[in-house]
Amino acid sequence: MFCTVSTMTDGDYDYLIKLLALGDSGVGKTTFLYRYTDNKFNPKFITTVGIDFREKRVVYTATNSNGTTGKTFKVHLQLWDTAGQERFRSLTTAFFRDAMGFLLMFDLTSQQSFLNVRNWMSQLQANAYCENPDIVLVGNKADLADQREVQEKQAKELADKYGIPYFETSAATGSEVDKAVITLLDLVMKRMEQCVDKPAQEAPNGDGASKLAAPRPARKMRTVQPENCKIPPGNGISP
Amino acid sequence: MDLSALEGLERESVLQVLQRDKVLRSLEEERIRRMRSDLQEIRRKGAKSFARQYSERTCARCQRPLGRLWDSGATCRGCSHRICSKCRITSSAHGWECTVCHAYRDLKIKSGEWFLEERAKKFPGGLDRHDTTGEKILKSYQNFSHIAIVPPTPPPFATVPSFNRSGGLQTSKPFTKSMENLFVSLTSHIKKISKSHNDVTADPALLTADSCSVYRKERRSQSDTAINWPFEVCTVECRRPSLSELLRQDRAEEGAESSPAYTDDDTSPGAELPLDKRGSVGSISVGDLGLLDPNVCRTGEIELGLGYSLGTSRLEVSVRACRNLPFGDPKRKKCHPCVKLHLLPDGSKLKTAVKRNTTDPVFNETLEFSMERPLLAGRTLQASVWHSGTLKRRVFLGEALLPLDGWNFEENLTQSARWHQLCPRTKTADIAVEQQNRGLLVRVRFSSSSSSPRQERRPADRPGGGTVLGQLTIQVTGTRNMVENLTKSPGCVNVSVRGLLSLPGGPRQSQEALLQEQGSGSLWSGRLEFSAVPAPGLQGASLELSLWDPAPQGPRPRLLGTARLEEASSWQRVQQTPARGMTLACPSRPAKPEGNIVQTRVTDSRAAGVPQHA
Repeated sequence: MFCTVSTMTDGDYDYLIKLLALGDSGVGKTTFLYRYTDNKFNPKFITTVGIDFREKRVVYTATNSNGTTGKTFKVHLQLWDTAGQERFRSLTTAFFRDAMGFLLMFDLTSQQSFLNVRNWMSQLQANAYCENPDIVLVGNKADLADQREVQEKQAKELADKYGIPYFETSAATGSEVDKAVITLLDLVMKRMEQCVDKPAQEAPNGDGASKLAAPRPARKMRTVQPENCKIPPGNGISP
Repeated sequence: MDLSALEGLERESVLQVLQRDKVLRSLEEERIRRMRSDLQEIRRKGAKSFARQYSERTCARCQRPLGRLWDSGATCRGCSHRICSKCRITSSAHGWECTVCHAYRDLKIKSGEWFLEERAKKFPGGLDRHDTTGEKILKSYQNFSHIAIVPPTPPPFATVPSFNRSGGLQTSKPFTKSMENLFVSLTSHIKKISKSHNDVTADPALLTADSCSVYRKERRSQSDTAINWPFEVCTVECRRPSLSELLRQDRAEEGAESSPAYTDDDTSPGAELPLDKRGSVGSISVGDLGLLDPNVCRTGEIELGLGYSLGTSRLEVSVRACRNLPFGDPKRKKCHPCVKLHLLPDGSKLKTAVKRNTTDPVFNETLEFSMERPLLAGRTLQASVWHSGTLKRRVFLGEALLPLDGWNFEENLTQSARWHQLCPRTKTADIAVEQQNRGLLVRVRFSSSSSSPRQERRPADRPGGGTVLGQLTIQVTGTRNMVENLTKSPGCVNVSVRGLLSLPGGPRQSQEALLQEQGSGSLWSGRLEFSAVPAPGLQGASLELSLWDPAPQGPRPRLLGTARLEEASSWQRVQQTPARGMTLACPSRPAKPEGNIVQTRVTDSRAAGVPQHA
């Protein structure tokens, strides 16, 4: 399986960033990641067995404080895909602690999956590496407009309440998929610098409320281009 | 957080994913190692040394003299050293840093150390900060599957008794007795080391909670016998030293070079000392575990070619190379391998030269055993690889066992060379050899009737020549593992051998003789003669030799075992050497201790239907 990986087996990158997608079963985590890494869509529903991951290398261009573009870095993204099914829950949540950022996904055509976002948030608070990790809320299946059950306003309000960005994506058309991942990557990159630069005034770990209380100011996007090396994903379970 | 809730296939696929993750992880570890050595390089460049007089008026990084008014340098906010304008790197948020502080910060971000530190704040203690969930599952599962592979009686080399957290021993099965002793010495050793470490003893909690206690707990839940001590060693060994550990090392290095006035206390924001200490305890004990139990993680292969030279009656073994050997001295990452050959159970031992500093040695040596070919049957070639360490101490690295029964020897040694997986040493091998080795040694001679003038004429009369008659003499010269356990006192053996010769389409001949012991040990003699055996029919003949104990307590004689000689090639060889005769080994099956004779014979002959000898 991984013998086909040729261009990505070298250690020629500057950052290894581990992101993780979570959310109810069937919201489209696997297809979302498949769209992001391979720019393809598989409409078939194949349930993820426990855990899986995909990889992609992107070039990240840092932005200086004055707004000018700075150095470029190669970032190796490890995108963990988790099973949404309840029976895998103990396994998948165990992987939360190794991820640096999270794509919390729900299905725009399923009210229930949206209601469960709250539960997933508390799962994250309990298991992630810190109390207020970087999260992006993703409403998937935006292309199925006629079946829509969750309104944008509703979701936006929730995201604002948690102080996290919100995106309506479609793995089928590919809209906003890249943007959601890149936004999360951007948050994580920013977080790394903060963690290193302000070790003394580190406090917010204790109160998770900081995230719930104040919505963050909107961040400037940084440019991220895909690198010329992609691979098909490893195991045959996910499309 | 184990995979026990999953079904077999599911577990497989999860493990597959985790294996992929492991590949990525090792890549990442390699990358981090590279970055660290780069950082060390930068630090070394700027280190203040005794050679240069330290003064306030030089740049702490490049040693350039600083002026009093112009270019007087400024204090780095990271390390508080005076830095010249050239050794500063402007970072967006906080003005500038000196090169070392910048590189350190950079490394902390790029290596993911920031993440580990953050996580350690939320989950203090308990969890090893470097281990990922995937890694842990993979390890615990490897343990699990490894147990399944281990034979019912695990080799004592790879086992330790299970122990609880405080280091006390729990179970003590007979075969683990020696390991128990080993372990006791091991724990005392670790304690000794810990004591020598002042800062560690300062915190007793750290002393007992060594770094792998987490796994130990996990593993114990899976297996009472805790078979996988080697894995535990690996977990310690594979742990990356933390960044701050490295920096402490650096500091120590730098400190040694620097003048007493120079205290380089820079670049240590948020270093967590308890974890550091724990790490260092771990790394120290690793080396020692390596010394005490060298049987860690056996891997590797050996390339051997086997040939038999009929002209010189020698078994030739070409030891070509080994690859992927483990380090014989894991502490220093050294390996000086050599190969020992041994013809089990009792053959001579031969040894190759020692190759130095390699885990992929090329030997290309041919070693020869002088032994008649039939005697090879039932023997096993043991090729063991050893690391020859300091003070002639040899460390076992692995062995390959090649049963020579039915080995297809080739003339060309190089062509026959093949790779064999090296395994940890097994006691079971000896048992297997003993089993294979049961049998009778017989000398078979077929004297065709040409020697007898009276009979010579007869076939001459018949032009077809189909019935050249001869005499088949079977002399039992020894037994192997067939009667020893029966005879309590060697003097009064009373064993008879019964031979049943079946010829294709012909009548069966039965002969019986008493076995007599010659001298001590298992040297015997008993002679069976079959007369008027047609020579052409011999190749299809089948000779069954059975050993009987004629005077047991029961009414009937007791069958001790049967051996069978029926391979056409053997008979052919017998016919080719009429004068000398051939020494053959007849492999045998043990007889059932009690039971119906007829039944026993049936089972035995069926079992012996596939002759094992060459």
